[in-house]
Amino acid sequence: MGLMNIGKKSVAVVLSAQLVLATQAVTMAQAEMLGTDAAINKYTALSNRNALMDEMQRADVQAGIIELGIDPAEAEARLAALSDAEISTILTQMERDNAGADIVGTLFTVFIILLVTDLLCLTRIFNFTRCVR
Amino acid sequence: MPFDPDARLTIDAPTRAQVSGVPLIQQEAFYCGPASIAMVMQWAGADISQQDVAALAFSPGAGGTYLADMIGSSRRLGQLAVEIGDFDQLLAEVAAGHPVIVFQNLGLGVFPVWHYGVVTGYDFAKDEVYLNSGQLDQMVMPFAVFERTWRRGDYWGLVVLPPDQLPVSAAETDVLSAAAALERVDQLEAAEALYETGAAQWPENWLWQFGLGNARYAQGDLRGARQALRRARALDPSIPEIRANLAFVEAEIAS
Repeated sequence: MGLMNIGKKSVAVVLSAQLVLATQAVTMAQAEMLGTDAAINKYTALSNRNALMDEMQRADVQAGIIELGIDPAEAEARLAALSDAEISTILTQMERDNAGADIVGTLFTVFIILLVTDLLCLTRIFNFTRCVR
Repeated sequence: MPFDPDARLTIDAPTRAQVSGVPLIQQEAFYCGPASIAMVMQWAGADISQQDVAALAFSPGAGGTYLADMIGSSRRLGQLAVEIGDFDQLLAEVAAGHPVIVFQNLGLGVFPVWHYGVVTGYDFAKDEVYLNSGQLDQMVMPFAVFERTWRRGDYWGLVVLPPDQLPVSAAETDVLSAAAALERVDQLEAAEALYETGAAQWPENWLWQFGLGNARYAQGDLRGARQALRRARALDPSIPEIRANLAFVEAEIAS
């Protein structure tokens, strides 16, 4: 019961914070033009994160993760816990390891699975992941 | 041991490449950084001296030019400046006809000698890297020697181009950020040109049109700004920032 209350309370806090932010955005829009820098930071970070999350949903990636005995939901939660900067580092590293060419197929699947096992502290492949354990 | 492109590169670089027309400038004392930028900008057709660059980049107290000031001064001079960090990128740029500024340590272990030079070409068969290195003669280095000096500079390199040209090895985000940086240092015409160049290269990304709209607005071109922001909105109608700026510009046009 107590736990549920805390849960509701934190949801409310998050929601009201979002409301404040939304209101601020509108006010700002009236006061001045919104800057390009901020938009680049916000939306490229967002699309990086979405790109990684999308890859996590691929059937072959999911199958690989399950095969290793890992709960895909937990893997996703770990990925979601990474900062924008860490996500960006991972993507840069991934592009390098894949020769800067189109990232497709097996190589990419392997990369994601290794990344996930790294995040879950099962392996230690990449120096940029942060093992929580 | 000669440079083995198959082992060292993940791209297919031509066996040799040479960027023509990069002037050799004799650097003044400690001015390797400003001289390097001046060489690259003169190659692109700008009328600029190493002293002009030094005024924006050189730190007398340090007796040299910081990496950040190499980037910042290029931008304050209206150039697109993007960092690179490995042989793939270096050779891809040179092969595409772009000179690349590199940061080297020419000294020995305990006595580092930091230096900026401009890579203008290479030849795998002859095992040579060509640099304009602050002297009136071209510098020729075997790949192994160049590699050693560049590695000790952490493979830092800088592509400096006029804003109507794009580096071939840089990620779109890096070029976008470089364009926004031009806006920030008030090089609005250059920013506008670079947003246009980027929009032509990556037509599906609304951020180029958004930046273009902002850069035009900052120059007082309200109708041009409106046109770009409308294009941005057409590319992605869901972005509140585009709608807000478009409404702002339209209100100003109406008033």
